[in-house]
Amino acid sequence: MKKTSEARISELKWYFLSLAVLLVVWLLPFWTGQYYLQVFTIAFYYVVLASSWNLIAGYTGQFSLAHHAFAAIGGYTSALLVTHSGFPIWMGILAALLSSTLMGFILGVLCLRMRAIYLAIATWAFAESVRIFISMTYEITRGDLGLAVPKIFLGEGRGVACYYLFLGLAVVTVLVIIIINHSKMGYYIRAIRNDEMVARVMGINTTRWKIFAFIISSGIAGIAGAFYGHYNGLLTPVMVDFNEMAFIVIMVVIGGIRSIAGPVIGAIFIEILTETFREFGEIRMVVFALAVIVIARLYNEGAMGAVRRFAQGISRRKQAREGLT
Amino acid sequence: MDKQNDSLLHTENLTKDFGKLRAVDNLSLSLEEGEIRGLIGPNGSGKTTFMNLITGVYKPTSGGVYFSGRRIDRLSPESITHQGIMRTFQVARLFGDMTVLENMLIPAFTQGTSKREASHRAKELLDFSLLGRLSNEPARNLSGGQCMLLQIVRGFMRQPLRLYLLDEPFAGVHPTIKDVMIETIQKMNREEGVTFLVVSHELTVVRRLCTRISVLHGGRLIAEGTMKEVANDPRVIDSYLGG
Repeated sequence: MKKTSEARISELKWYFLSLAVLLVVWLLPFWTGQYYLQVFTIAFYYVVLASSWNLIAGYTGQFSLAHHAFAAIGGYTSALLVTHSGFPIWMGILAALLSSTLMGFILGVLCLRMRAIYLAIATWAFAESVRIFISMTYEITRGDLGLAVPKIFLGEGRGVACYYLFLGLAVVTVLVIIIINHSKMGYYIRAIRNDEMVARVMGINTTRWKIFAFIISSGIAGIAGAFYGHYNGLLTPVMVDFNEMAFIVIMVVIGGIRSIAGPVIGAIFIEILTETFREFGEIRMVVFALAVIVIARLYNEGAMGAVRRFAQGISRRKQAREGLT
Repeated sequence: MDKQNDSLLHTENLTKDFGKLRAVDNLSLSLEEGEIRGLIGPNGSGKTTFMNLITGVYKPTSGGVYFSGRRIDRLSPESITHQGIMRTFQVARLFGDMTVLENMLIPAFTQGTSKREASHRAKELLDFSLLGRLSNEPARNLSGGQCMLLQIVRGFMRQPLRLYLLDEPFAGVHPTIKDVMIETIQKMNREEGVTFLVVSHELTVVRRLCTRISVLHGGRLIAEGTMKEVANDPRVIDSYLGG
């Protein structure tokens, strides 16, 4: 079925807007200093985590609370292989992808038949186990002291190189999510979220697709974690702290769950706010949590939902005006 | 174990218990290929449970369901769908966040049809059922009758569709939409040879649509035949009058 010309124009507008934003972000290192370069690099890391969590929680409707744990599994896998076994960094990152995907598969098989609250509890328990395991295996992971990780780029241009690396990761992640969304898998996972029993009656093997979405989501988080380790140069169990998961949830909810741009906007916005109000310490989390409650209560589509409604309002007013003349 | 049986669908001593409640009781029923069968009975007679047993939503306590001679009651709902069986639900269950067109594409996708091919058939079916202009509308915006209609039309996206189970498809539907539904069902039966099992309380529609009727009461099959035959059956009269 052909798209209407209005839909095509709207799509084109989005393409041009995305290109313009990408151009600005591409040129940012030429205008800004090292500090903000670092802030944006971390923001892009969270874009990857938030977007991949949106795939499983937003589009598929599986509220996993273990996403940060997969990032840690990836991070520690790569770091340990490179540090202890002398693997080159790229092989460490490949191993991170494999380990996080494998753990995603195992956890998916065990938990994805569970209903909402039970799935959240089970995945949270898994994440806590990962955190405790990392803290306890001091001889290997150096526990709470932190594991020194070989850095991915060295030298003067490191900050800029890392900025583009994480920007690339974020762009690739968003593209993967867009491709999935437009594929048959995208239809299936949205159907599963809407009504799992009907999805089954329509012929969808819901368990298979939920696990598949979980594996993709975990794999992306694992790669992000591995790159983060090699960027930061230090990994600690703080990476699996529940606050980290809360950050991802906050970013997605504020930006707009079940939208492509929502987690991107949410991650960048929250990361900048976090850095700006760093001096306020943990009180920031309280403010963010309150913002989530307000948005969930009054505007559960987040910032992207607000933009969409605003655009629809303008379009309706325009149509009404044209109807009058 | 599979069975030699000429019927398209055959249930044998099918029983379903929910705790101490027996919802379907030793029900043996056969459906011939190409017929439109009505399934009637008072509330709580086990009609919907029977459909849930055929489509794998429930597993039987005992007995079996055979489709084209193959036992299917141990299969998952999605595997049963892949045999060519579709169903609707008493309360229309659509994918509300997805558009009308997207709702239509899913059954076709699950059998490997390309997007182009599926979109073409969806357009034909939506136009025939007067839902074409709503293609890009989210399904949650449809009226109750339109939801019911879309639910039925969506099932026709599976090809070949051999058996279609319709659970109260006409409940609360405007007469105009009801006519479109009946026309669509008759067209698919005539042109594509789809067999239907229609659960309905609307006896006038059942009379118009179905050649044979089965009557359930207390989970048991109490009568079977043409509308005239079952309407004169004293057990049917008793069950409807609460005797």
